[in-house]
Amino acid sequence: MELHAFDAAWSEHCSYKSSRRFLRNLPAGGARVLLGPGEDAGILHLGTHDGERYAIVVAHESHNHPSQVVPFEGAATGIGGIVRDVLCMGAEVVAVADPLRFGRCDDLASHQSSVARGVVDGIGAYGNAIGVPNVAGDVYFERGFDENCLVNVVALGILNEKNVIHSYAPKGAEGWQIVLVGKATDPSGFGGASFSSLTLDARDAELNKGAVQVPDPFLKNVLMRASYRVFALLRERKVPAAFKDLGAGGVVGCSAEITAHGGYGARIELDKVNVAVEGMPPEVIAVGETQERMLWVVPPDFVPELLRVYNEEFGLPDVACNARAAVIGEVTAQQRYVLEYRGRVVMDVESEFLTGSIHDDLPYTEKIYHGAAAQELPAVDLEGIFPRVLAHRDVCSREPLYRHYDAVVRGCTVLPRGAADAGVLAPVPGSRLGVALAVAGNPRYGRIDPAYAAEQAVLEAMRRVVAVGAHPIGLTDCLNFGNPRKAEQYGAFVAAVEALARAATELDLPFVSGNVSLYNETSAGNAIPSSPIVACIGSIDDIANVVTPGFKAPGSALLWVGNRELVAGGSVLAELLGVKGTLPNIEYDAERAALAIVRDAIARGVLRACRVVADGGMLTAVARLAFDALAAGRKIGAEIDFGNPLCEAGGFVCEIAAGSGMDVTGTLQIGATIDGPELIVNGTRFDIERLHEIWSQPLAQLYP
Amino acid sequence: MSARIAVPVFPGTNSEDETLRLLRDCGGDAELVHWSQASQMAQFDAFVLSGGFAYEDRIRAGAIAAHDRMMDYVIEATGSGKLVFGICNGAQILLEAGLVPGTGPIRRPTAAFTRNGPAPHFICRHVYMKLAIEPARCAITAALPQDALVPAWAAHAEGRLAATPEHLSEIAAGGHLAFIYANANGIVDPAAIPNGSALGCAGLVNREGNVLAIMPHPERDAWNFNHLDRREGEDVLAPSGGSILFHSFIKALSS
Repeated sequence: MELHAFDAAWSEHCSYKSSRRFLRNLPAGGARVLLGPGEDAGILHLGTHDGERYAIVVAHESHNHPSQVVPFEGAATGIGGIVRDVLCMGAEVVAVADPLRFGRCDDLASHQSSVARGVVDGIGAYGNAIGVPNVAGDVYFERGFDENCLVNVVALGILNEKNVIHSYAPKGAEGWQIVLVGKATDPSGFGGASFSSLTLDARDAELNKGAVQVPDPFLKNVLMRASYRVFALLRERKVPAAFKDLGAGGVVGCSAEITAHGGYGARIELDKVNVAVEGMPPEVIAVGETQERMLWVVPPDFVPELLRVYNEEFGLPDVACNARAAVIGEVTAQQRYVLEYRGRVVMDVESEFLTGSIHDDLPYTEKIYHGAAAQELPAVDLEGIFPRVLAHRDVCSREPLYRHYDAVVRGCTVLPRGAADAGVLAPVPGSRLGVALAVAGNPRYGRIDPAYAAEQAVLEAMRRVVAVGAHPIGLTDCLNFGNPRKAEQYGAFVAAVEALARAATELDLPFVSGNVSLYNETSAGNAIPSSPIVACIGSIDDIANVVTPGFKAPGSALLWVGNRELVAGGSVLAELLGVKGTLPNIEYDAERAALAIVRDAIARGVLRACRVVADGGMLTAVARLAFDALAAGRKIGAEIDFGNPLCEAGGFVCEIAAGSGMDVTGTLQIGATIDGPELIVNGTRFDIERLHEIWSQPLAQLYP
Repeated sequence: MSARIAVPVFPGTNSEDETLRLLRDCGGDAELVHWSQASQMAQFDAFVLSGGFAYEDRIRAGAIAAHDRMMDYVIEATGSGKLVFGICNGAQILLEAGLVPGTGPIRRPTAAFTRNGPAPHFICRHVYMKLAIEPARCAITAALPQDALVPAWAAHAEGRLAATPEHLSEIAAGGHLAFIYANANGIVDPAAIPNGSALGCAGLVNREGNVLAIMPHPERDAWNFNHLDRREGEDVLAPSGGSILFHSFIKALSS
């Protein structure tokens, strides 16, 4: 029993044993932060409505290894897990996002293509069924992920700040009951935490499948609604409680943490855990990772009501075989974690020892990843190469993928997936408050320099939120890296964390939640491209001020605000030309100045449309604004005269109303919008409808 | 006393909150009725079945829910002329219950909203539904203008109308085809059909005109803030767009 319990609790996945000492350096405080990292999810102040303060709950995780082995189930349980993390803070879940990294899918019959399809089907099947809109995400297809895909998931919840439920037993909880809620425990997901902390080996593929959990979004739908009902009862009766998701490490992982983090111990009777099949060994009941389970710690006199809501009002046992809420133990004053089975004590350990003591100070290599050596760009034939940029797998339309996701359930969607650079919701019915969510993490940078990729991920995620008119208030991260037992791969992780801290400090944004996924490497021992993936949350005081998609009128000034360096390192253009190029500089003073200009334009009401400059460069951003207008029935093009328009150093393309009175318009202007669906760039003409066709098609075969 | 509207919640329903909110914003007196309290259904004057995946859409979307105890009340209400409005999963349930097109016996469907085509996947896409009957032919659409164009979101994996050729002719000839898909300009165009639905069908009505079943969700494009193309000066929180159908439903209840 101890072997299995510690195998899970001390796995990298649960303990962050080789990452925690670095993660401490990420800024996590600030006026907006109600709760930083440490519990199931972070919490950020959103705004006030009707005298009540509302907050956004956010969590960010990976489900990489399970998705590689069993794509549909692996990805679906990723959504299932992240939704529970947010739910368990007492929040209503309002949105999910899914940053994805797949291998090359040029061959539709390849294993990589079946992973890429299975993952998207799994995310859709789960999120659609529970009724949570998918409003943001990104996807890259890249050789480095051929054997190890990345499936990151982000979830947002909304709550009144008075109603936060913590993930640890509160003061005075001695003698309170521990109630397990959800699916009957079964042998699925046994050893999941330690499996996630291994390098995948193709020879073990069949064996590993047993470590992946089985999703049940139908049961989750009911569990969520039943939990919302419990939240309401707790509020009405002013009953304190703790609530925590069962993830890695199962019953032991969750019950040990929920009690130990409150300074208590626990006594758990494994016989009281509702099981799907008889005769399971106690260690499977104890650490198996069956999905759709959560744990309450409540005062004894609330237990009957809690059981009634789940078991009778919402009839869990009728919804899924032997699903229910059941008392499985109690909180004890002694800081011992005790497991009993069939009247015998099968484990008795110090709580702190199990949950908090493991560290692994592995050696790592520090190195300079890229130099400043300038490399000239060859002259480009724009007419030939721009259509190839738009059709590039990192640039082309993602709609064939995301149209499998429900982006509008709940009726709160302001900007659905794909409509703009960030998704926007109105999460409080009847209120003008809005929340924006965007993700970023460019693997073309990750291949070159993990630290640079991390800083750019923060910058891009933040810009995306600003581009829809939101005020960035916080960040989350998922650090997807290689094997920490290889000094060089571990060094890449360490460098990225330092870079995230630098960027967040410079931009004065906190990291309120995050996750680390290590051991992402191939059977040949190569790490994936460094993948620090960042999500940014933005607040909007009045959704009337959200920047709506697409060019609005001909005759507007087009500005490129931000880093306009004409270098191509890490760009799609560089890849197509087969050159290395120079990486754009990151200068935070310039970044802050660019943000100030965009926000000033929004405040004056002269910003008509905006997109960030990212994959595919400035001209791609211009084309996207024209495509967005086309979708709304407006045939508006642009005429641009400016250097190499395919450089993607960063910043924003802004449509500014003519005669805006903004004094920067002259210096930053790159062109103007024109009547008709035509793009005229440095004298070269493109038909926008034709470009749109080229851009829309490439993923349609992979995602029919 | 105003008519009371029930929004039944089956295990797996997921659009009850926004449906309820829009009914109330349009002036309706509506509340949720949970499956464990099915007997409360008897107290209501009208029913709006919302979207989701009732009973996990096992067998076929709506097939199990059609046999739920809650549907006994809806079936009885239909017979006594009460208004019943189903959206997405609610529409699928009404078809499986045989209430629309209503050309066969109860709970013996003559048509189904089934697996999308040609690609058999869930699709989430903004659409327009065009009223294809005289407005007064269905009580719920009676306050809509002729040829009304209702913006909505298709968000389903099983929304393709399928039936035998005989039953399809019966649907067309009997005036059951309440809504068809059209483009933003109201033009009927095969490219506007998101799911391969026979007859371009987006919604069906029964013979008596008191039961309407539509696949797309007007309640998800129903407030100004939902519109991608908002005009300046509009109150972002005001109902608009797809809410015209809800307004028409509420109007029918108060007349």
